[in-house]
Amino acid sequence: MAHHRTKLLHGTLDALILKTLHQGPRHGYAIARWLGEVTKDAIQVEEGSLYPALYRLERKGLLQAEWGRSELDRRAKFYTLTKKGRANLEKEVEDWARFAEAVSRVLMGEG
Amino acid sequence: MTRRVLPFVVRLTHRVTGGVFRPRVEDEVAEEFDFHLEMLERRLREGGMEPEAAHTEALSIFGNKEQLRSDCEHEGRRRDWEVDMRERWIESVRDIRYALRQMTRAPVFAAVAVGTLALGIGANSAVFSVVNGVLLEPLPYNEPGELVTITSAFPGLGFDRFWISPPEFFELKAWSHSFTDVGGYRTGTASVESTDQPLRVPSAVASASFFRTLGVEAATGRIYTDDEDLPGADPVVVLSDGLWRRAFGADPELVGKSIRVNGQPQTIVGILPAGFDIEDAKIDIWRPLNIDPNDHQNRRGNHFLNLVARLGPGVSLDQARTETDQLLDRWVEEYPDTHTLSRDFHALTVRDFRTDVLGEARTQVLLLLGAVGFVLLIACANVANLLLARSEARTKEVAVRVAMGAGQGRLTRQFLTEGLTLALTGGGAGLVLGYFAVQALLATNPDGIPRSSSVGMDGSVMLFTLALSVGTGLLFGLAPLLNTSPKKLGMSLREGGTRSTSSGAGARMRRSLVVAEVALAVVLLTGSGLMVRSLTALNAVDPGFDPENLLTFNISTPSNTYPDPTDVGDFYDRLLTELRAIPGVQDVSAMNGLPPLRSVDANDTEFEGLERTQDGPAFNTDYWQFVDLGYLETMDIRVLEGRDFNLTDLAPDMATILVNRRLAQVFYPDGGPMGRRIRPPGSDTWFTVVGIVDDVKQSGLKAPTGTEIYFLSRQAESLGFAIRTRNIVIRTQRDPLAIVSMVRRTVWTQDSSLPLSNVQTMDQNIASSVARSRFLTMLLGVFAGVALVLAAVGTYGVISYSVALRSREIGIRIAMGAGAGSVVGLVVRNGAVLAVAGALIGTLGAFGVTRLLASQLYEVSTTDPRTFIIAPLFLIAVALLASFIPAYRGTRVDPVTVLKQE
Repeated sequence: MAHHRTKLLHGTLDALILKTLHQGPRHGYAIARWLGEVTKDAIQVEEGSLYPALYRLERKGLLQAEWGRSELDRRAKFYTLTKKGRANLEKEVEDWARFAEAVSRVLMGEG
Repeated sequence: MTRRVLPFVVRLTHRVTGGVFRPRVEDEVAEEFDFHLEMLERRLREGGMEPEAAHTEALSIFGNKEQLRSDCEHEGRRRDWEVDMRERWIESVRDIRYALRQMTRAPVFAAVAVGTLALGIGANSAVFSVVNGVLLEPLPYNEPGELVTITSAFPGLGFDRFWISPPEFFELKAWSHSFTDVGGYRTGTASVESTDQPLRVPSAVASASFFRTLGVEAATGRIYTDDEDLPGADPVVVLSDGLWRRAFGADPELVGKSIRVNGQPQTIVGILPAGFDIEDAKIDIWRPLNIDPNDHQNRRGNHFLNLVARLGPGVSLDQARTETDQLLDRWVEEYPDTHTLSRDFHALTVRDFRTDVLGEARTQVLLLLGAVGFVLLIACANVANLLLARSEARTKEVAVRVAMGAGQGRLTRQFLTEGLTLALTGGGAGLVLGYFAVQALLATNPDGIPRSSSVGMDGSVMLFTLALSVGTGLLFGLAPLLNTSPKKLGMSLREGGTRSTSSGAGARMRRSLVVAEVALAVVLLTGSGLMVRSLTALNAVDPGFDPENLLTFNISTPSNTYPDPTDVGDFYDRLLTELRAIPGVQDVSAMNGLPPLRSVDANDTEFEGLERTQDGPAFNTDYWQFVDLGYLETMDIRVLEGRDFNLTDLAPDMATILVNRRLAQVFYPDGGPMGRRIRPPGSDTWFTVVGIVDDVKQSGLKAPTGTEIYFLSRQAESLGFAIRTRNIVIRTQRDPLAIVSMVRRTVWTQDSSLPLSNVQTMDQNIASSVARSRFLTMLLGVFAGVALVLAAVGTYGVISYSVALRSREIGIRIAMGAGAGSVVGLVVRNGAVLAVAGALIGTLGAFGVTRLLASQLYEVSTTDPRTFIIAPLFLIAVALLASFIPAYRGTRVDPVTVLKQE
């Protein structure tokens, strides 16, 4: 059971990252902040666990990373959604919608 | 903006340098984590937290830093590796495309290089397919590694390889513990009726245990049993898959039916699986030995069986040898009075089956492989030379690449790709060439290659060719790197537009390559020269008779239509008379053993009045030749003393024989054998020697002549034994093959059921007896020829290149009044130095290498002075010619044009 949760969480985290970068390039810290704001800190994630996901997504070619300057003129690594990443995001959104609908139908429906 | 520029520069340097300046993954992760933590702390402090607390809180929000770092580094390293691979792949594709473009841009260069490689690689894959089929493919028997052959030897008689008699076979089978089974067989021919015409096919008699030993079972029906192998059993026969298809239309109901073999009805009990054979004899009919193991003690000297045995589990060849050696002593104990096996007189030899079956072929095939390897080396040297010359023309291009940041590694990869592209193209063409070469070889030399049915292009040949192509590509692909030392490249850029001069390293390399080529070619030429000399000597051997205008064929009279020996004799008399009447026929006779390569009889023989001595010869003669009247005349064999057989010998109770010179020397060294008497062991009749005739080669042209007795076939009949199978020999006035159809018709008017086999001229018999030698000589000759051409092309290439480089100097010389002759001399001298150096090294090499040919040479020393002088001189002459052409062309240039070019 626990194993299943972790897996689900991983997949979800990837999708959330892709969604976050949908608007434009961001560094890891900015992604964490944005996730916190949007979910109103409902999802408790250790912020560092973003990074293995980011590296993995970069390796898979869903993200592209470049070093640049942050708002405070510090060197930071910026992640951008690639074309492949964008396509993947669309698919994740669809899958999620279908999954959520199916789960809702079961949980909310009259048994 | 700045955010984008730096990464771009980083990526650019990446691409050019192959990632040397890429930040380490560890630093990347650390910097990213530090940034995150700092930002978190700053935010917490801004929210009013104490710095110390903010630090702790930030770490806790971030999570397990060490674990995360290790995860990220792992992913990051994988990412970098994949990027590298992708870039390398893209580079390779680009390199291949570039290489192909280079080839189409210089089509002549490409054609010469690819053609040279195709020749070299094609010859190698052709020879390898022979090696593969002959030496590497497993023999088509169950667990062939356990199989051994057992032969006997008569050291005293000079026979190191002899047959085994039935009693010896059965005793060995019963006494030995080293073998799980032992089988005996003997090959021959048999007449068989098929659905349409009588056939004469290769046949064998074999013990039932023979099939068990080899581990073969019938594809249809069964193999005959041990009981069916005894005398008096119902006659049964097993057919080959080939005969079943050829002669019986693959009749599925054939098993159980009866066919006539040699006129006798026999029941077919089984059909063997396709491809089953022994000794490449293409045996079609297998029959039982029909010998009773307990009832042949008197035939101890009747050696005719080949034995094949299977080593028991865990028994080594040496252990088996030790046991058979010990058994020899038992034979001496059990049969002290008779002719018997013993250590010093009549020993047993156990050999690995595969090695034994392949025999000399192994040496020959390996020799060819070595020779063809030389050809490939020469081809590689030529291509390396071509690439070197081209790379010099391309130094500027390379210099630009280096200036743009390409490292040595990157350049190496590019050159190797170019080399590999060339080699693979050449290898592909070579494979096609090799395929046709093998087909041609098999078609023209069916007797020259053992196991030829398993020779062909298969997966392993393809793999070998691929490996060879890659290997050669790597080998010569590296040659151009000699021209890419940084210092040289710098010079080449500074030189601007002028043509770069030949570099020291490059020129030295080119000259050494030519020297090596010439040396290798000299070795090959010397080797093939020795073989040619040997074959010439072999062809010059006097076989003891005149082989010209002789037609021979073999027929056999079945015992059901010719039951009595006299019936057989009458038939042959009638046939010979009819054959003599054919126009163009000069003489006709018959004999049972066909020279120059018949199997040895080695029959025990009694010599009246001669005492067997310890050191004297064993009372055994190599050949018993049963002939018809007029034999010596037809064959043109000289009578040295006494007389030929004549009509008086046909009188009843006449028992006369002729002996050959060798027999007279061996058994009657002190006085002539004329008038002395000789008889088969145990016979009541003594035969009187009435003539001594010249030696005839019976066991091959190479071998020394054996002892021989000539019997008259008709006299043998009166003693009760029939010579059913005879070789008819016809002396014609003109081309013997012209009368073949007349001969057939004549035979068939006598008896339409008799098949004729081995219809051929005596010249063909002699040629096929030296087929292997001729095959080896021919192939070595072809390889030497190719080597010669390649070496000439290589010399030509290097000399014309050097002439091109020196065109300015030559122009100046001519402008200053030097004669064309002196210029040509200058250039040719250059070539001569290379040729002489190569020829010297090659001759030294040949001294070392030709020793390997020793077993293949007949009456030619491995250091035959004539060959060792002619071969290098010939190559020097060819090399001089190859340098003369470009030299002469060099002098035809107009000095003004050349000088203006600068």
